[in-house]
Parts: sequence; C-alpha cells; structure tokens
Amino acid sequence: MFDKVLIANRGEIALRILRACHEMGIRTVSVHSTADADAMHVRLADEAICIGPPAPCDSYLNINAILTAATISNANAIHPGFGFLSENADFAALCEKHGFIFIGPSPEHIRMMGDKITAKKVMREAGIPVVPGSDGPVAGIDEALKAAKKIGYPVLIKASAGGGGKGMKAAENAEELPDAMKTAVAEAKAAFGNGEVYLEKFLKCPRHIEIQILADLMGNVVHLGERDCSLQRRHQKILEEAPSPALNDDQRRKIGRIAVEAIEKIRYRSVGTIEFLYENGEFYFIEMNTRLQVEHPVTEMITGLDLVREMVRVAAGAPLGYTQDNIKLSGHAVECRINAEHPVTFAPSPGRIGDYHAPGGLGVRVDSALYSGYTVPPYYDSMIAKLIVHGANRNECLMRLRRALGEFVIDGIDTTIPLHQRLTSNADFLNGSYDVHWLEKFVNGEGE
Amino acid sequence: MADKNDAPRRIDADLIRKMADLLKELGLGEIEYGEDEWHVRIAKEPPPAAAVSYHSPHSSPLAHAPGSADSARFEEANPIANHPGVIVSPMVGVVYTSDEPKAAPFVKVGDTVKEGDILLLIEAMKVFNQIKAPRSGKVIRILVSSGMPVEFGEPLLIIE
Repeated sequence: MFDKVLIANRGEIALRILRACHEMGIRTVSVHSTADADAMHVRLADEAICIGPPAPCDSYLNINAILTAATISNANAIHPGFGFLSENADFAALCEKHGFIFIGPSPEHIRMMGDKITAKKVMREAGIPVVPGSDGPVAGIDEALKAAKKIGYPVLIKASAGGGGKGMKAAENAEELPDAMKTAVAEAKAAFGNGEVYLEKFLKCPRHIEIQILADLMGNVVHLGERDCSLQRRHQKILEEAPSPALNDDQRRKIGRIAVEAIEKIRYRSVGTIEFLYENGEFYFIEMNTRLQVEHPVTEMITGLDLVREMVRVAAGAPLGYTQDNIKLSGHAVECRINAEHPVTFAPSPGRIGDYHAPGGLGVRVDSALYSGYTVPPYYDSMIAKLIVHGANRNECLMRLRRALGEFVIDGIDTTIPLHQRLTSNADFLNGSYDVHWLEKFVNGEGE
Repeated sequence: MADKNDAPRRIDADLIRKMADLLKELGLGEIEYGEDEWHVRIAKEPPPAAAVSYHSPHSSPLAHAPGSADSARFEEANPIANHPGVIVSPMVGVVYTSDEPKAAPFVKVGDTVKEGDILLLIEAMKVFNQIKAPRSGKVIRILVSSGMPVEFGEPLLIIE
C-alpha cells in the first residue's frame, strides 16, 4: 500500500481524497495555489506545497510544478481527482515515467476515450449500443449534409476533442446545418484546439443514465449500478440520483452486464463511467469518463463502497476481492450540487462564508470543504458543496432531502440551495418524470 | 478545617514534581489529585496537529495547527515576506546556491549585485532555472541553503 499520496486537485474532492487516504493510514501531500493556502484540504494534509499563483494553468494544470512537488515530497502516487489533469493522458504518462503511480486508468485508455470518435468506435466494437451517427469525422458542409440525411434530422454536431457537455450544436433541418457546422467547428477549435467534428442523431427527450464500473489490474470488473443525471442546466449536472427512476431491475441487469463485458474486453482498470442517453427503452452510448466523477457519492450510498478507497487499492495492485454477486444496491440516494451562484440568475457569488451549518442525521452526508470564515475564491469552479441523502426508498430519500436542505446554512454568499428546495417540491421531479431538457425549461420559467 | 482567612497554603513542590514525573512516565495528558479542600491538576500542553509545511526556510517539519493563524511562525515569516527587498521563488523546486556542488556560491551576504545577475538556481524536473536579480542592490540576507526544497512564493533572499 502507498506510504504517501499527492492530491493534485482542490476543493471538496481534494478533501474527499484526503479523507480516504487518512482512513487507510496513507500520508497526504496537498499541492495548492496561493489562493487556496487556507483551504481545508491544505490545513488537514500532512504536507502542503504551494505550487503557483491562482490561475489554474499556473497551478492545478501545471504538470511540471505538480511532478516537482511529488519529487521533493517523495510521494508514491498521485490522485488527480476530477477535472484539471484527471483526463490528461500526457500527465498520466508523465507520472508513470517519473516513478509515481497515477491513481486512475492507463494513459492509453484515457487517450482512447478522450477522442469521442475513437471512443464510440471502440465501444461499438465492444458491444455497447451507440447513438446513430456519422461514424467518423465530417469535414465540410457537403459531407455533413450527406451524413445528416442518412441519420435523419434533427442532428447534433459534436467536437471529437470535446466532452462534458461542451462543444455541441444542433441543427433541426438541412437549412440550419451549414451555419451550425461553421459555428461548431470554430467553437471546437477555440475551446479544444481541434476543429474536428462528427454528427449524431439528436434524441428528442432522452434521459442521461450512466453506469459506474470498477476494475482491478487483474481484469476483475464489476458494475455498481446506474446514476440518473438528467437534471442539467447548460449541460452541467445539477442533481443526480441512484438508481434511476426510469429503469427496472431487468434493464439495470442487462445494461450493467453489457457495460462489464465491454470493460473486460478493452481491459480497462480503475473506476470509469459509461454515459448513455436513454430513450424509449433504448440505451445509446455518448461517452466514457475515465476518472472519478463528481456524483460518485450516490453510488457509494447505495452500494456501501468507498470508491476513492477502491481506486487507491486497485492502483496499489490489490484485487477487488468481490464479484458482481457481492454487489447489492440498497435504497435510494440523491445528490444536490450546491454552487456559489445566485439561485435564479446563476450569477457567480464568491466571497467570505459567515455562518455555516451543515445538515445532519441518519442518511445525510455533506461533501464540502467549506467552513465558517472561509473565503470562496473567484478563480475556480463554483461548486462548493454536495449534499447527498440516502433513504430506504425514493420517497423516504426525498423527504429526507427536503428536510436536510431546510437545515443547511451557508451565509455570506449566494448559493443554489433555494433552487434545490424548489425542485424537491416540484411534482415532475417528485414523480421522476424528467428528461435532459426538463431543468432548462424549469429554470427559465422560474427566471421570469 | 483551615480558616479561609489563613495565608495561602505552602506549595507542596514535591507533590507537584511527583505528579509531573508520573505524567511523563506514563505518557498521560492530565493528572488531577486532591483531598477535601484542595485539588491539584497538571495538564500537558496538547501538541498541535503534526503537519509539514514548506512555508518556512527550515527543513525540519513545522507544526501547522489547523484553524489558528499560527502566530509564532507568522511573526517570524512576516517581516521577511513583507520586506520590500525580498526575492521570492517563482516556482516549486530545489534550490542550489552554486553552479556545481563544490563551486563557490553565486552570491554571499554583503555582495553587491547588478540587475540580471544570477543569484540562485532552482531545479524542477531535472531542469535548472536561473533566478536572476530583478534590480541592483546589496544582498543582506540569504534565507535558503543548497539542496533545500522551496515552494512557489517562498522567500529566498533579501536585496536592499
């Protein structure tokens, strides 16, 4: 087992990783920017190294600084969290080259799934159902028109170097396609440095359902059930739940088995999430995330597994120690992502936290690095806390969620807690009747 | 029964010493002993949570208590960090004060340097980066030693 792990991230996930390491008796090194000198994961770490000024490119994305910090602190392994360098195949390869274990999948798998066209091809060959599409990049309007005619409108133009909901443009018909193509290519080049795009059928009202998988270095693979992440605003998830209200046990078992077989075939290791769009009983692969995900806690609540701990264990060479039969999904869990934003206008609200009181009680979990007197810096992602609630069934879970939200106090800044409170009294949400477009309509209605 | 107006009881130094020895010997945090009218309590100062921070030029681990301003270290580091002539590290790495292990250092305390003179090297990922004087002046303090790891923003030397 590792003696010392360097945490190459910040905020609540850095604290999450630190907690798992400390519970395993592993010492922690927190690297941080000057803006995070007072962050909780810095204060609680065994060692802290300031690696740069606030800007991510000079700190949390600064590969040289992070590897140097790992060298001078004699870390054995590096956990990249999510975002930042977690899906940077070059970083993963450099870690290994310099003698540090990268706690995650191999650089090859990161690269494979980072290119969305390759990912789709690999998954299709591994037996995963995919969204009908151009099956390759489209260059130019003529190719796009031909491909779109075959797929059938409406279509979605996606950047092959994109992902995470970014770099997508829809076209309802052939008239809209040329302009949409031009914009998509320009935006892709600007955002990802690569203007290559492909086409996919645009599903009218799908749900976003993803399967969590976990594999060790010996080829043992399990799936840990699904998460329904359909509630999104501008392609960013706001609330997630497990299991999905839309699936029954048969469907769950079937898609789980397909996912495990694909992971076995490609010999993937560590955690990963296969994301699908689900419509009319059919699953369509969109992308695979080769890292720990923000919403991993809902899976932890229903399986009883500590996913960060499992990541560290398998990275250190330990076998899973259990099979699919040992995995039991119990009860229902919901996670609310709480952002430092105005709950209606979504204007960012960094600043100093006054009173802070997290909810408690049975089945209530808060993953957050906040504390009273902490100043939320303006340089980073606006997510400041995750409220995760578990209940014996969905009803109990939602009652508990409503109760917990009512107790949560974060003074001094705006947060999206009121938005979540409105959700927990909305009939559609309570019935589980929503798709990926639902939340956008909900917040726009509220905004009036 | 002792009169409340009596002079304070003579301190039983032997008892205190015995209790302190017991505390240490048994590794206790606190001992309390007393009789009807009096109690003596001896408590060990709780150690701050052990943490190593590279904020200080010292290579030994420094206590870094979470939640406190860590006033002692603050007072020591602050005059240095706030000195107008302080040169801080632009990167995390290992400091070298000379070109080669046996060579003379680039600068000594008391040296006068010109803008652009090499003061130190900082090595990161096997690449040696020259730290140059941003202005001319006299080196009045050198806060680091060769082979020491430094973090971003750490004070290296002071040029007046």
